[in-house]
Amino acid sequence: MLASLFALLIFPAGLFVLVNGLAYHWIDRKLVARLQNRVGPRWFQPAADMVKLLANEEVLPTGVDARLFTALPVVALAGALAAMIYLPIAGLPPLYNFPGDLIVAVYLLSLLTLCTGLAGAISKDRFSIIGATRALTQLFSYEAPFLLALLGPAFAAGSWQINEIMAYTSSQWLILTQPVGFVVALIGLMGKLEMAPFDTPEAETEIVAGAMTEYSGRGLALFLLGREVELVGGLTLIAAFYLGGINNPFDYALKTLVLLLGVAGVQTLMTRLRIDQVVGLWWRYGALLALGQWLLLLGQRMGT
Amino acid sequence: MDTFLKEGRWSQALEQIKLWARLNSPWVIHFNSGSCNGCDIEILATLTPYYDVERFGIKLRGSPRHADVLICTGPVTRQARDRLRRIYEQMPDPKFVIAVGSCALSGGVFDGCYNVVGPIDAVIPVDVYVPGCPPRPEAIIDGVVQLLGKLQQGARP
Ligand code: SF4
Repeated sequence: MLASLFALLIFPAGLFVLVNGLAYHWIDRKLVARLQNRVGPRWFQPAADMVKLLANEEVLPTGVDARLFTALPVVALAGALAAMIYLPIAGLPPLYNFPGDLIVAVYLLSLLTLCTGLAGAISKDRFSIIGATRALTQLFSYEAPFLLALLGPAFAAGSWQINEIMAYTSSQWLILTQPVGFVVALIGLMGKLEMAPFDTPEAETEIVAGAMTEYSGRGLALFLLGREVELVGGLTLIAAFYLGGINNPFDYALKTLVLLLGVAGVQTLMTRLRIDQVVGLWWRYGALLALGQWLLLLGQRMGT
Repeated sequence: MDTFLKEGRWSQALEQIKLWARLNSPWVIHFNSGSCNGCDIEILATLTPYYDVERFGIKLRGSPRHADVLICTGPVTRQARDRLRRIYEQMPDPKFVIAVGSCALSGGVFDGCYNVVGPIDAVIPVDVYVPGCPPRPEAIIDGVVQLLGKLQQGARP
């Protein structure tokens, strides 16, 4: 009882990932700033932003379902946190596991986007509705390639259980044998987190703030926290699957930070894509590449 | 320890934390209520990497619901009056207003026009005034810093 409470509130699915998420968010912003030749935010910036948002008034716009409006951010954050239970956070083995937990973790990570879409759709504001449509369209475009890219290692290991896949990937770096899957997974993660080239759903120069337009104070803070938690979870998953597993905290920090550097680089290099370009990119290239690699693995397996 | 847990001390510490967070993360939204666009270009110049206001935690947000500070430029025209008031009402508490440019302060060259209501503070309360036609980006940053100083001295919540 006490142990599971500790697991839910402190480590791995509580305070630890929240602090970790804030730190990684700062590192991401700082890296982008340095790549743009700026000084960048101070180290406590994300924490100050969060505390300020939590302390602000939460406006309840007229015409929305009050219960749904207040519950959605909580569900989004809870879903992201729940996924952490099945991931090897900080290099320690996942807390709980059962056959097929990879699928559950990936779907828990998608809950945030679903909640974002719903949050935009229940508002009466037209910008929210456009943002929600874009968020859901983007969800349908990156989700399949992302899942296929994560199924590659699962297929190679012959298991859909995260710690068994890790045991397999620890002995070899799958980025060498499945480079396409790695790229698709990393870019899929950026689509999931609505980072720079894929930030069409909240394009502030065209649709104000997308689905988040009507959220202020606490609701916005919880959504942003959920996204930071997801950043940690996604990086952990990709590092564990493609970069030779993560076996200790040092390994974890090193590999996820290297991935973060790559993500920040792509963010600085690319400009925002239009929503039809996003869909085209994923279905024309991402899905086909991931599928091709999958077929290759299948053929290899049949051959041996 | 006992006295620390008492209601007064506890809420005081909480207020301190809130004030610290507010001072370090002013998110701004920019609204043009009828300016000649000169001031707006200076505001955009303030937000470019050259001045890099992100190091103070200042961030431009698209939605008034996310912003704490409303940066207004220009005199208020009859058409923009209701919009300005509505944007101000849409911001969550606590909210602050900075008026940028001579026109925002007094009506400037547009004062007395048939379509102009008057300066910004004829419509919504203003916390800091930044004079200039248009003010330099340094002056605008100084305006934000003055607002934060005022906040620290406890001028308003
Ligand atoms: S203060 Fe000068 S630059 Fe600014 S709006 Fe007025 S006339 Fe234009």
